[in-house]
Amino acid sequence: MQQLGNGRFNAELKAMVVEASLALARLDAERLEELALSCRALNRDLSARSGQERLEMAREGLELTGEMAVFERVLEATRANLDVMSRVRELRAGQREYGSSVRLRSSARREWVRTGDGDGNH
Amino acid sequence: MGTISSAFHLISGALDADQAALSIVANNVANANTTGYTEEKPNWEENSPVSINGVNYGTGVTETGATSVRDRVLLERLDQQQQLSAASASRLSALNTIQALFTPDSGSSSATAGDIGSDITSFFNSFSSLEANSTNNALRQQVLSTATTLAGDISNAADGLNSQQMALDQEAAVVIPQVNALTGAIAQLNAQIQSTSPDGDAGVLEDQRQQDLSQLSQLIGINQISTENNGLSITTTSGQTLVSEGSSNPITAGMANGVTHFFVGTTDITSQVASGGGSLGGYLTARDHDIPGVLASLDQLAFGITTAVNAQNNAGIDLNGAGGTGVNPANPALNIFNQPAAVAGSAAAMTVTMTDPNEIAAAGPAGGAGDNSNAVALAGLANSASVNGKGPTDFYSNFVTMLGAAVAEVQTENTARNASVTQLQNQNNSLSAVNLNDEAAAMQQLERSYQAASQVFTILNTIMTSALNLGVPTAVA
Repeated sequence: MQQLGNGRFNAELKAMVVEASLALARLDAERLEELALSCRALNRDLSARSGQERLEMAREGLELTGEMAVFERVLEATRANLDVMSRVRELRAGQREYGSSVRLRSSARREWVRTGDGDGNH
Repeated sequence: MGTISSAFHLISGALDADQAALSIVANNVANANTTGYTEEKPNWEENSPVSINGVNYGTGVTETGATSVRDRVLLERLDQQQQLSAASASRLSALNTIQALFTPDSGSSSATAGDIGSDITSFFNSFSSLEANSTNNALRQQVLSTATTLAGDISNAADGLNSQQMALDQEAAVVIPQVNALTGAIAQLNAQIQSTSPDGDAGVLEDQRQQDLSQLSQLIGINQISTENNGLSITTTSGQTLVSEGSSNPITAGMANGVTHFFVGTTDITSQVASGGGSLGGYLTARDHDIPGVLASLDQLAFGITTAVNAQNNAGIDLNGAGGTGVNPANPALNIFNQPAAVAGSAAAMTVTMTDPNEIAAAGPAGGAGDNSNAVALAGLANSASVNGKGPTDFYSNFVTMLGAAVAEVQTENTARNASVTQLQNQNNSLSAVNLNDEAAAMQQLERSYQAASQVFTILNTIMTSALNLGVPTAVA
């Protein structure tokens, strides 16, 4: 875990936010899951830090607002895309159901034709 | 009627169907690297049952053609995102050029628009220097010299903005023939598709139409409306019809108020197109919104400085013992800058009209030779609310900050839109192009990515909030 107070925290966190945005753009789920684990560890580590160190974080954190804004917008766009894809999936499911209903009608027709004559050896 | 030939047909039909399906698969493989090609899947249709001597046998299948695996919902979303991405990209490019005009020119003593901030400081500091020795000719020359630099940089900035506006005007005009070519091509494809495939997928024709739609989306904001028999109509985002099935309405260009306006028929669609998206939307937003906004601020700055400085100089007595119009309205004006009649155009017209440094009115109306009270007042204008309620330095600083924020906002927008387009292209490739990924895997990848990214964002946002609130320890499950 990086140390606070030497300027690395800000650089590391900024790099993480930028990487998360890029990974989300290319839907790199594996990398995003790794970053999520890293973030959890970072959060646990920071919780144990002193007040002075957290004050320094406040100063450095202000410089991350731009990168976080980008990440947030990409996340919003992804959510909208996910909605669209869900809609696509629903439509496709509907088509499949429609397809199966056609088959059911065909099947019913076949049964209706077969009723009566048996094997036809009359 | 049941016959042996009917039974044979049942078998041969299945064989034919297999062969047709194999042809489609071969076509997919052959076109795997063709841009815009959409994978085709064979359609199987159940045949009517065959009745032989009153006995019905099976139904068999017939291959009835190929349906491209494309999804209009996804493609329209992709086109929409491309429109927004292209708009933000062209607007961002213009804003970066504008911002470069106001970037300080480090390491050079030559006058540039980017040095306006330091020019303002130097100009008002020259009055402070004059306070110490109000009759000194070199110090008076220094006032006129710094005034000339300030006026030159402000007018240069205005000229640069006007040039940028004209360049964007030309770039916008160049887009129109491309739009018209694409809408014409789409109309032709519509006619072909409607005549050849009114009830089904048109395969390659549909691919071509989709490619043209994709290109059109990068140029202009559009809405797509599916019509009868697999046709398509296209309107601008505000509803002006560009393509109605087999016919297209070309956009024409004409000059109005010195800039190019765009028309469909006699309707001026310029403002609609500007807000619609595509690179044309971005160009027009920069041309009609961003640059006029920046020019208006620059005009306010120029008008405020000019008016305040001229008025204060006219309130004093110059080295020749003459008072300005503030001392006696009948006196000749002691203007340092040319005085504009209105705010609009002040920046471009800003020049220094005073040539005699002795006309700088350093003395107050009641002061004698060597008095510096009006020079003190002139120096004090640096901090007076002379420009739209702010001091000149504060106003300019705020203006540059606002411009930077606007650029950053559009940059954010552009990054997010590009990311969205990339995601959708990946999804579309997985559904529509020739590869081994299937729909479920693509969807799962999207969901996993979103969920993991949401976790990352939530934790980082919590950390940031905690940090900005000066560090209440935060624990995220």
